[in-house]
Order: sequence, then structure tokens, then C-alpha cells
Amino acid sequence: MEKVLEVKGLSKQYSKVLAADNVSFDISAGEIFALIGPNGAGKTTTIRMISTLLKPTSGDVIVAGHSIKSAPEKVRGSITYLPDEAGAYKNMTGEKYLRFMAGLFTVDPRAIDQMVARAKEINGLGDRLGDKIGSYSRGMIRKLLLSRAVMTKPRLAILDEPTSGLDVLNAIEIRRTIKKLAAEEGMSFLLSSHNMLEIEFVSDRVGIIAKGHLMVTGTTAELKERYNAANLEEVFERVVNDHEIH
Amino acid sequence: MKFINLLKKELSELITAQMIVSFVAIMAMFMILGNVMSTTIEEATKQEYTIAISDRDETEFTQSLIKQMEDNGAKITKFSSEGDDYAAILKSNNSENLVIIPEGFTSDIENGTQPKLVTVSRMASTAMLSNLSNDTAGAAGFIENCISSTIAAQLGLSEEDIALMEDPVAVVDNTVVDDKSAQISSDSIMQRVMIQNEILPIIVFVLIMLTSQTLISAISNEKIDKTLETLLSAPVSRLSIISSKMLAAAIIALLNAAVFMIGFSTTISGATDKVTEQVAAEGNVISQYMTVESAMAKLGLTLSISDYILVGLQLFFTIMICLSLSIILGSLVNDTKSSQTVIMPLMMMAMIPYFISMFADVNSLPTVVKMLVYVIPFTHTFSAMSNLMFGHTTIFFAGLAYQIVFFAVCLFLALRLFNSDKILTISLNFGQKSKYKKKHSTSAEE
Repeated sequence: MEKVLEVKGLSKQYSKVLAADNVSFDISAGEIFALIGPNGAGKTTTIRMISTLLKPTSGDVIVAGHSIKSAPEKVRGSITYLPDEAGAYKNMTGEKYLRFMAGLFTVDPRAIDQMVARAKEINGLGDRLGDKIGSYSRGMIRKLLLSRAVMTKPRLAILDEPTSGLDVLNAIEIRRTIKKLAAEEGMSFLLSSHNMLEIEFVSDRVGIIAKGHLMVTGTTAELKERYNAANLEEVFERVVNDHEIH
Repeated sequence: MKFINLLKKELSELITAQMIVSFVAIMAMFMILGNVMSTTIEEATKQEYTIAISDRDETEFTQSLIKQMEDNGAKITKFSSEGDDYAAILKSNNSENLVIIPEGFTSDIENGTQPKLVTVSRMASTAMLSNLSNDTAGAAGFIENCISSTIAAQLGLSEEDIALMEDPVAVVDNTVVDDKSAQISSDSIMQRVMIQNEILPIIVFVLIMLTSQTLISAISNEKIDKTLETLLSAPVSRLSIISSKMLAAAIIALLNAAVFMIGFSTTISGATDKVTEQVAAEGNVISQYMTVESAMAKLGLTLSISDYILVGLQLFFTIMICLSLSIILGSLVNDTKSSQTVIMPLMMMAMIPYFISMFADVNSLPTVVKMLVYVIPFTHTFSAMSNLMFGHTTIFFAGLAYQIVFFAVCLFLALRLFNSDKILTISLNFGQKSKYKKKHSTSAEE
């Protein structure tokens, strides 16, 4: 299957901390891959490097055939990134925000209209899109931002903790949307989460990361079988114990 | 174009209802201030010619004195009074100032003793304009003149003798600038230049403060809301992101400057017109000498159109430096609290030259201090008008060149910052090293 993302030996050294250590994995077209691990494991650093926001100390990432080192601008044209706990411009209306973001991907007014229409369909916010974002609830903002992240039909959508801080119903809705887009449109997703039970439901494959190391990757079923575990949380516990880095 | 899309977004973020309200409020404030100043001065000017006189002597001589004053255009209100409780006398007559001619005034003159004249003024506050009307010195001076003429006439002196006694020396004031001179007192020029030179520094100061605040909060808000990360991961160049922010902040700053400039000049002209009218009414000094304008032109103290263009150019680079520095400072912000702290360096850079330019000439400071003050790029803007006016063109152009280099360095650093990891990882560290490092390493690990 066509590879949309190839992460090759990616490392990031901050002054004293090795935040990501030789991380390698790949994602195929239409696949949902999740990086899981506790807070401070290196998920966000890895995701920020793939999103071209941070420069790797070593290693490279190829997104849709473009290297983040040699062609970061081309990579940005193929991805969208939704940061953890991101906000949006409070003085803008939801529709204006979508239009502004679409305008960063294309200058064709017809294409912009199509993107906004698609986002409207996905987020289901209806008339509320005419209101200022400052008046939105957390769940509404997250839906708006998710629709923004997928309206451009990116090859790879990178979502950092997509459901954090949301109530159960909003979280379920967002998970459903992600699964639907991957299955019906062949869009690839890279998610990160510390909620391992959620990831078990939504992702095709997972990678377990702790203290900057990507310890193991595989489908949820494979990993549960390999580690003789009932769920991903147990898998994670055993993986960490096996590698003796508590 | 993607840049236009970014610029429109930046402008719509900055032009809010609060900003429009503050524009209207500033204009209203200036209009009220201008009105207050012109009416206060008008009132004061009017009142100065109204003199309340209590004639306790009531002789033919004192009555003729009062009549002479009336003939000379003074508006006199006469009233009777007793005792020396002047506060009560002022209160009962509902007046702000009065002159009392005591009993025995005429007989003192006749006997050759120095007569006494009592003046009373109410002081309501120490504000400059509020006390303009309290000056009874004019009335007392007039009475003095009348009496000296009377005495001189009694002694048999001619009018020429009196004129010579009153004004024994005719002082011809001359002012020299470089190798040019004009027949005018330097005080007259100082008064005119002061009003003119007060406008520019205030506008520069307001511009620097508003521009930096606008941009710092624009960037820090994007960092805090994480919209910056979204923007930086979009297919749009970092230069477009920076320049759209700078241009939007510059447009807002110029709008603010225009509002201030119009408001301030109406206020100042409201005040100066009245003062000028008053001076013209008293009209003697100016006609004896040249007019201030023609003297200033003769001394080369007027600014040509090209000078104004140069001042404008320098103002432009001042804003650009301010914007590029604000981008760097705004990037240091990680929470709303620190967004108020990071503006401090820019505030100091604006305040030091602003205050110095108000009280002293930078060029006359000791060399080391002068150099230190000139290191602050904004100093050159504050002293621009004076440098051009007094022909210190070398200092002016050196300052302009320094500002251009300073701007280029700041912009380069800002761009490098936006192109590096630092834009997301940099933060303030005010002596809380251990705490900061701890926090930093945790966020790095994530």
C-alpha cells in the first residue's frame, strides 16, 4: 500500500533532554495511526517535527514524497495539524475562520467555497457558524477545528489529543468522523493520545512511546495477543516493564 | 493572494469595537481639552481688563485717576469697603481680584511721602491658566504710571523726560544661529518652537507604545491560543505571516497617530490662537521687532518640505524597528501575565529619550551619556526636528543610517526566530532558573 508518511530515525535533543530518540514508523493511505504514551513521553515533539514546526536533530520524515528537511513548504501543503487544546480567533465568526484557513491553502475562490461547504457538512454547526467563535463551547470549537483540519482533504491529518477535555458525546462524534473520513475518503490520520482506551476504538495501528522511545508498533489485536493483555493499557504497562524504563 | 488573506485577518483581529470606541474617546478628549483651554484663556483675557477698585480716599485726584484708567479702555467696577478682612471683601463683592486706594493716598503724594496701594488676588489653584485672571499687577502698574506722570508734571518735567525715565535703555535683542542672525529675542523663538516641538515627541511616544502593544498582544495571543502552530504548519511562507502582522500593526499605529495628530493640533491651536490674539491686542513687542516667523526664516530655523520628508522617513523606520522588536518580544510570551512584562524594554527605550528631549538637548550632554542615549534608536527620532532645524545634518543622517541598520538586524532576528524551533520553545526566564528549566524540560519531553 502507498506510504503517506515515513518517519526515519527521528531524534530531537533539547539542551539536556532527549525528547525523541530514533523514532521510526510509517502510515499508509487511509490508515489511522495513533501514538500513545503518558504525558511527557515525546508525542507532541514527534508530531511537531512531522508538522514542520520543529527541526529534527537527526533523522528525516517523508510526507507524500516530500522531506520535512529539504521541502518543508511542500510538506505543509500535504498535511494539516490540529494542536492539543488549540483555540481559534475569538473575534471571527466560525464561517470567517474556515474561509480564512481555506485561503491559506488555495487562492481559487471556488475551491475555497467547496472547502468551507465541506467543513460545514462535517462539523454540523449550522447557523452557529455565523456567530463569533468567542461564544462557542469547547466541544463546538473542537468540531470547528477538526472540520478545518480535514476540509482541505490533506494526505495526512495530524491531530494531537483530538478529544481531550471533551464530554463523552462530543468525543464519540469526533472519533466517528475520523473513522468515516479514513474509510470513505482514504484520508490518513496521525493521532496522539494518552487515553489508550479511546485509541483502541479509533485506530488501525498504534505506536507506544515512552521517554522519547517508540517501543513497539502494531494493530491493537496484534499487540494484545503478543503481550497477552486485555486492553491497550495493559499492553502499555507490560511494554514499559519489559523495557525497564519506569 | 495568500498575503492579502493574512493581512485581512490581522486587520479584522485588530480593528475591534473597543478600538473604535477608544478612537472616538481620544478625539472627544482632545476636543474638550481644546475647548477648555481656549475658553479659559478667553475668560482670563477678558477678566484681566476688568478691575475692581475700592476708592477709600475719594479725592478729586483719585477720581481722575480712575477716570483716566477708564479712558484707556479698562473696565472698572467701583465699590466701597472697610477694614482689612480682604477675604470677606472679595466674597461680598463676588470678585476674584481688587485694588484698594487707602485713605490719605492723595495727601501722601502731596506731602511727598510714598503712598500705599493695596491689591488683593484670589488664588484658587496653582494651575497656570487658572491664575491668569488674578493678576492685578497690570492695574497697579497703570496707577503707578499715572502717579509718576502727575509727580513729574508737578516737578515740571516734559513728556520726553518721562519717557526716558521710564525706559532709560532701548534693548535690541539679537539671536544668532550658526552664522545667521536676526533681530529678535531668543525667548520669542523658544516659545514658538516649544509648542511646535511638543507635538512630534508626543506622537512618536504614543506611536511606539501603541504599535508595540498591538503587535505583542497579537503574537502572544496566537501563541497562547496555539493558533500560531496552526498558522505555521499551513502552506504559507513565514515572511508573509510576519509581514502581514507588521503591516496590520503599522496601519493601526498610523491611524492612531493621525487621530492624535489632529486632536493634539486642534488643542494646541485652540490655545495658541487665543494667546497670539492676546499678544497682538497688547501689541507692542512684535511690531518693534521682526515677526517670529520671518525671524525664524532668516535664522534658517524653518523646516523645508524635504526636511519634513526626512522626519517622515525616520518616523517610518522608528515604527519598523518597533514592530520587529515587538515580534521578538511577543514570541517570548507564554501566558497573559508575561505579555504585560515584555513591553517594558520598549517602554524604557521610548521613555528615556522622550523625557530627555523634553528637558535637555541630547547633543549638549556629556559625551559618554550622549553616546549611551544615542544607542537607543528612538532617541534619533525625538531629536530629529531639532537636529534638522539647527543644521546638525551629520548627526541626523548618522541617526537615520543607524536606525536602518538596527531595523535590518531586528528583522533578520525576527525572521530567524520564526524560521526556527525557538518561536515555539522560547520563553521568559526572570531569575526563576530552576523552575523554568523544570517546566521547559517537561514540555520538551512531551
